[in-house]
Amino acid sequence: MKIGGCCWLIKQELSLMVVTARSLRVLGLAAQREINPIKTSYRSVIHNRVSQSARFEQRRKMSVKIGNLKFLNQVEAQNIDQELFTEYAFSVEQLMELAGYSCAVAIAKCYPLEEMTKDNHAVLVCCGPGNNGGDGLVCARHLKMFGYKPTVFYPKRPSQALFDNLWKQCEGMDMPLLSFFPSEAHLITDSYNFVVDALFGFSFKGPVRPEFEPVMETLKKVESPICSIDVPSGWDVENGDENGLKPDLLISLTAPKLCAKHFTGKHHYLGGRFVPKTLEQKYQLNLPAYPGTDCVVELKPNDDA
Amino acid sequence: QVEAQNIDQELFTEYAFSVEQLMELAGYSCAVAIAKCYPLEEMTKDNHAVLVCCGPGNNGGDGLVCARHLKMFGYKPTVFYPKRPSQALFDNLWKQCEGMDMPLLSFFPSEAHLITDSYNFVVDALFGFSFKGPVRPEFEPVMETLKKVESPICSIDVPSGWDVENGDENGLKPDLLISLTAPKLCAKHFTGKHHYLGGRFVPKTLEQKYQLNLPAYPGTDCVVELKPNDDA
Repeated sequence: MKIGGCCWLIKQELSLMVVTARSLRVLGLAAQREINPIKTSYRSVIHNRVSQSARFEQRRKMSVKIGNLKFLNQVEAQNIDQELFTEYAFSVEQLMELAGYSCAVAIAKCYPLEEMTKDNHAVLVCCGPGNNGGDGLVCARHLKMFGYKPTVFYPKRPSQALFDNLWKQCEGMDMPLLSFFPSEAHLITDSYNFVVDALFGFSFKGPVRPEFEPVMETLKKVESPICSIDVPSGWDVENGDENGLKPDLLISLTAPKLCAKHFTGKHHYLGGRFVPKTLEQKYQLNLPAYPGTDCVVELKPNDDA
Repeated sequence: QVEAQNIDQELFTEYAFSVEQLMELAGYSCAVAIAKCYPLEEMTKDNHAVLVCCGPGNNGGDGLVCARHLKMFGYKPTVFYPKRPSQALFDNLWKQCEGMDMPLLSFFPSEAHLITDSYNFVVDALFGFSFKGPVRPEFEPVMETLKKVESPICSIDVPSGWDVENGDENGLKPDLLISLTAPKLCAKHFTGKHHYLGGRFVPKTLEQKYQLNLPAYPGTDCVVELKPNDDA
């Protein structure tokens, strides 16, 4: 496939892409041009079909069975987090960046950009008042770098520099902020290809506070796929919630939480590839092998073929 | 050099990024580029052993992050870090490496062949875009030995010791250069095998302000390989 004088070499297994320096200017323009699905040529239909099946094969090879992977209770989740910051000297900024980035990568694997055709790859990212919300802001920023068009809903920003900065970074990427949550689910379903749920994480203890109740109720009726970061918001972190949110994709961070056993959506990914071996052994996490340099790995139930 | 420093500054001031964030993304992209060029299974010396040389500034910090991710990918990095700045940022980055059971070299091997024999490749994270020569006395012997090492050298952002704009004919000759954010002028003198761009965090408005004309990164990749214009 030639674009304006530059040559693309695609290796299926490694997806290595090579660009010429002259095309730096050409591609700078191409990156801004949106792909118009109506004008898709026959050649690129074939290309899309080939790359879709190649992607499917790649994803199939890259998923692992859960095996002895440990699912954490709330106290273990909080302790591991604390040890990463105290004993292992990680900063919140670092781990949040890696966590949010892995969420964006998992989401892009499940909902490839070219298939997200509503309103030019528009997506909604709902960020709550804590660290889960912070993960969501980082995720939104990386989704933007990947070509999606995130809009952020961030009703309750904590007054800490960390979140101030994360929000400023989103503003610097020209990300619109919703001033109020749409009252009707179909408004969201019509406008957004998927919704990232970064409202509540593993520190959540119910019930949902009054200001978030209407958001949760509306989200439950949205028909666009929901991608939950770490814990489906509103779920009991250990026991889940039968009447709660039903996400399509769950990205567990560091290690899955117990409630993930109740997850019945289509895709379960593990992200946050930063756990030192000694910490993993201390908590007997039995983490699966991440493929190569990937920052995410798909988890499949043990009984799947 | 000035543009590089200004872009860096704007990322921290106007765009509110923290050093920890960008260093994490930068170091991670270096590890990914390195792993693409030197796949784990081909690095057979001493169980995927590699050497990471970290200098006294931010380039060294990038190196520490890179070393940590290389470890996560399965390589066995040993770190050489002779001059650690007394700032919390570098203290923490080093503690994170210690937490991953990474050995620290107490002194640099005096003979190049000792390095060539033991390490599959050497990551050069000594000096970056703020470097102004000449190399300080304590680093001179390190640079001289590195020039004779036959294992491939992977330089982070700028081949250490090179003039940031004009290069250095008699300087280090790395096999792989990973430019961060955007290539520096001296990269025009790079004649090694692989040139990658990493640091996929530049907001569009900043890119346009400096007319960086960055290439499109493939999909969700954090690195993209750059080839000279005259290549097919």
